[in-house]
Amino acid sequence: MEGINQFLNFTGFANATPGHLIMITIGLVFIYLAIKKDYEPLLLVPIGFGILIGNVPFIENVGLQIGIYESGSVMNYLYYGVLKGIYPPLIFLGIGAMTDFSALLSNPKLMLLGAAAQVGIFATFIGALALGFTQPQAAAIGIIGGADGPTAIFLASKLAPELIGPIAIAAYSYMALVPVIQPPIMKLLTTKSERKIRMKPSRSVSHLEKILFPIIGFLLTTFISPGALPLLGMLFFGNLLKESGVTKRLGDTAKNSLIDIVTILLGVSVGASTQATIFLTPQSIMIFILGALSFAVATAGGVMFAKFMNLFLSKDNLINPLIGAAGVSAVPDSARVVQTIGLKDDPTNYLLMHAMAPNVAGVIGSAVAAGILMSFLMHLL
Amino acid sequence: MIDTLQIADSIKTAIDTAATAINSPDNFDELTFSLDNIVKGNGILITVIGYVVVFTALLVLYLAIAQVSKILISRTRKKLEASGLAGQMQKENLDISGEVNAAISMALHLYFEEAHDFENTILTIKKVQRPYSPWSSKIYGIRQLQRK
Repeated sequence: MEGINQFLNFTGFANATPGHLIMITIGLVFIYLAIKKDYEPLLLVPIGFGILIGNVPFIENVGLQIGIYESGSVMNYLYYGVLKGIYPPLIFLGIGAMTDFSALLSNPKLMLLGAAAQVGIFATFIGALALGFTQPQAAAIGIIGGADGPTAIFLASKLAPELIGPIAIAAYSYMALVPVIQPPIMKLLTTKSERKIRMKPSRSVSHLEKILFPIIGFLLTTFISPGALPLLGMLFFGNLLKESGVTKRLGDTAKNSLIDIVTILLGVSVGASTQATIFLTPQSIMIFILGALSFAVATAGGVMFAKFMNLFLSKDNLINPLIGAAGVSAVPDSARVVQTIGLKDDPTNYLLMHAMAPNVAGVIGSAVAAGILMSFLMHLL
Repeated sequence: MIDTLQIADSIKTAIDTAATAINSPDNFDELTFSLDNIVKGNGILITVIGYVVVFTALLVLYLAIAQVSKILISRTRKKLEASGLAGQMQKENLDISGEVNAAISMALHLYFEEAHDFENTILTIKKVQRPYSPWSSKIYGIRQLQRK
């Protein structure tokens, strides 16, 4: 009888709390959004199921070694890659091997849009400080505005490991919701005639330029912001594997098998880290609110800077301000949003390739910003 | 008989514990909005310096890439001039429109996929071997699958 009672006390039903049920519901919503609405399924399915894994209730710290926060458990080992910032650089390696920088190389001035959109990071940093978060926590929250999941996890793992769960979930949720968050801001800040601006077609880029870019880009950006070395090093290395033309096998592995494996491990362990007892706090709710604001500010920053650049450009070289919104990174979703909004006003104006330039510049910009914040604040830890 | 009261008690205790953790006033106390926090945390200084450095990094990269492109284009121009093909470097040859790019890509795709009008006349019959194994034997199969 005692054995049965003990078994019943160990079941999920006996240990369930409203928090667990809330988190399981959130996990189910993620899976629904991914499968039914096709919002970032490659991320939301692993994260959503990870949330389910992390929120099956059990009695903690009795030597079962099953919870993600229990030393020695399988999930704890997988979570190590998140906690020590191992997964994000590997994801960046794959992103580098996938990314074609031609659009950026043919019109390099669009790189500035990727810098302008990083205003979201710093605005959120200030907002988080005002709310009473510590400096390292505020910086980790601010990086959500970079709209780059791996960068957000990387910085959070260094500056505020206790907030990795909410920061990662907020970053990936809003990245999935880019098609919902960005369009109203883009329309609000642009006129119809601005949205109809046709940009000059991109020039063709030579093979040598494509090879030189990852080398020059890596050396310049990391000399300025060495904190971004793991991320930018892997990003540009991955790109060199792709563009060199002699390492096809390595490039293929980086952009297919490797990034898939790491995405699965990262998604599941980040999802599982949202254990209700640790995740459901007022801080998490504030992080979600700040995250939404940071995306909005970043989008507005990119669009407004594109309009500002137009003041100095000749009539033939005008920039369609919509592409400024793609500066928030979130590759390639924000570029797709730009294309969709642009086509609504002019069905023959294809902005996708133009938008890819600030989009990939945003990835570099957010990694540089993460490096700067890290170098500013690491001494406080 | 299972002690249902004990189970109900443990569920109630667990719910109360979680609710207390979620609504802990200590957590709320930690988050107090104040503009002084920005000043104390050097928020403005870090923001200004950080944003300027991000801009500088990408501006330097822009200038470097723009210069490299110019150097490479002028080098190619010189090479072509030396070989008497300077006309190849006209502006209209450099800026290829999206439509032309799409047509070239389509042609290459069809070529590499061999989806062309003239089929290859060399046909090869591949020998497919299915060696017998009791693991794949239909005789020992649980279900007899219908053959199409």
